[in-house]
Amino acid sequence: MIKRPPALQATDKLAFLLSLVPWLIDRAEVSVAETAKHFGMTEQQIRDAVMLIAVSGIPGETHQYQDGDLFDIAWDRFEDNDEIVLTHLVAIDDSPRFSGREAAALIAGLQYLSALPENADRGAIDSLMAKLARGASARPSEVAVEAGETDAALALIREAVATGVQVEFDYVNSRGEHEHRHADPLRIESVDTDWYLRAWCHLRGAVRIFRFDRVSALAITARPIEHNSGDVPLPDELFEGSADDLIVTVDVTAAALSLIADYIPDDAGRTTVGDLVRTSVRVSHHHALMRLVTGLPGMVTVVEPPEARHAVAEWAAAGAARYGI
Amino acid sequence: MRPVGSPASKDATVSPERAADAPRVPVEERLFSLVLALLATDTGLTKNEILSTVQGYRQRYDHGGANANLERQFERDKDDIRDLGVPLETVETPAESGNQNLRYRIPRGSYELPRDITFSVEETAILGLAAMVWREGSLSTESRRALVKLRALGGSSDEPVLGYAPSLRVRDSAFEPLRTALDKHQIVRFAYLKPGELESRVRTVIPLALVQHQGRWHLAAEESGTGAQRTFLLRRIVGQVATTGETFLPRSDDESARALRELEEVWASHTAVVEVELESDAATRLLKRRGTVSSPSGALELHYSDLNIIADELASFGPEVLVLSPADLRDAVRSRLWRTADDHREGTP
Repeated sequence: MIKRPPALQATDKLAFLLSLVPWLIDRAEVSVAETAKHFGMTEQQIRDAVMLIAVSGIPGETHQYQDGDLFDIAWDRFEDNDEIVLTHLVAIDDSPRFSGREAAALIAGLQYLSALPENADRGAIDSLMAKLARGASARPSEVAVEAGETDAALALIREAVATGVQVEFDYVNSRGEHEHRHADPLRIESVDTDWYLRAWCHLRGAVRIFRFDRVSALAITARPIEHNSGDVPLPDELFEGSADDLIVTVDVTAAALSLIADYIPDDAGRTTVGDLVRTSVRVSHHHALMRLVTGLPGMVTVVEPPEARHAVAEWAAAGAARYGI
Repeated sequence: MRPVGSPASKDATVSPERAADAPRVPVEERLFSLVLALLATDTGLTKNEILSTVQGYRQRYDHGGANANLERQFERDKDDIRDLGVPLETVETPAESGNQNLRYRIPRGSYELPRDITFSVEETAILGLAAMVWREGSLSTESRRALVKLRALGGSSDEPVLGYAPSLRVRDSAFEPLRTALDKHQIVRFAYLKPGELESRVRTVIPLALVQHQGRWHLAAEESGTGAQRTFLLRRIVGQVATTGETFLPRSDDESARALRELEEVWASHTAVVEVELESDAATRLLKRRGTVSSPSGALELHYSDLNIIADELASFGPEVLVLSPADLRDAVRSRLWRTADDHREGTP
């Protein structure tokens, strides 16, 4: 999940400057390279920030920003050796507090992650949350996420990832087909309440994604993994398109568009037909389409191809038939 | 001292008279200079002092003029700085009164992180993961910013917790405006389509908390006027969330914890009994659902919060699931399946 650092807004740059100064004070002398690495920014971003800090300060008694009113750095070391040494300080000593919203974002993230084996120590997590709240300049906003349930499978997979051994399990795919799998666990992923294992599947000879709730009889083996996350490229997106995918035209109500956003290819057109939006969805097979559309009754209708439309009709009718007439 | 001719000697001593020639000061430099100036003052600075002396303003300050544009700029900058959690205060000197005599400052004690707050390497790593959970919207921006502040404390960030990529979605368009209203204590108005009703109805409410339960975002709120507590599902909010212009007094209770507790109670109080086709995907997944109990007859007992949502979910399993009870859920699933079958009948595009 390593992404290019996004372009910074002026307020993000300000937050960075206010954080960089106390860190530089604390480090006394440090290289541009190390600073860039620590803050996850480019070396040029660090140099720009240091140049700005070095000419900044307070108006002072003369209101003219005289030398004693400004930060200063050891310019020769900066220009010759790419090192940062603050030689004169103004106004800032310590790190800034979190905003109430920032603290709330991290606290809610921690609540969500309470299912992770790393967070088994509830007391430690609670004290971390309390520390964030105390370190905020305002009361954290009222945003909360239901605590995840501790999952035995999660702990086992975590252990396998940590020790670099294969796992084996029974897997039922969405079509109800059972298979026994051996896999090199690469990464545990989640979206809201759904958890997934991304792994190198020895049966398929490729990276596959497995839903936790379709996994059973999970066990750790003694066999070392053959692939690790360093040598297998892992996508940023949970679901990747494949050449075998079906592209299906659908009519969707405006309200339901966001519910199927994951299935709409980036290049799909969107045209308005009355109250509906006509677009397309990408699915791996008819079964996935049947499930998707039947779960959004009255909101999504398949237009074409006819066999896809027929598959949905059959699935829904078979379900309805179980209730008699 | 800076060597002569280094970039540092740029306009630091440009006099206001030469404002027209002054190079444009970048926004972050103006904001940074404002924070430094307000941190350095104990008694506070008046707006005029700020506009005429602080870097980024002084270059544009007109000593004889009204400076209305610059004043508006200062108002926006104050908001931006406060959004970062910088406690920019307004103080009124008792002897003086009137708007021009308000003074501004940033009290060091409420600006600086208390010294006893430190984070271990393990804590920094888990906070990095907590921040990663948010991939979109303001929560993502703010958690990234919080991590920058965390790094100011020295905690190493190059040891992410390997092997995890957790994420929480914030897809409902009502989320951001509601979160803003929550933080600014604004009363809001929106159209809401209540489950089982055909027409949406406009609600005016005091927002109390935003909580995610069972993967869905809810707003806990108090109805303006009646004071009745209500929970709204964000995905059922139709159209825009508007502010009414009225504000409310912040509550002291832990509203989000209370809202989650109540949603949990509702969830636990609703039980559906379903029959699942053996070895089907429905059998596997519904059995793994939190709280599911398998009865001796093979039927599954599931908990749910909202009849319409569980009905959609169960309908998606088609013939793999038969709802036995309650009767209203059974009807809801059956009519959904008929609806989908009818919508996809031959020759009815």
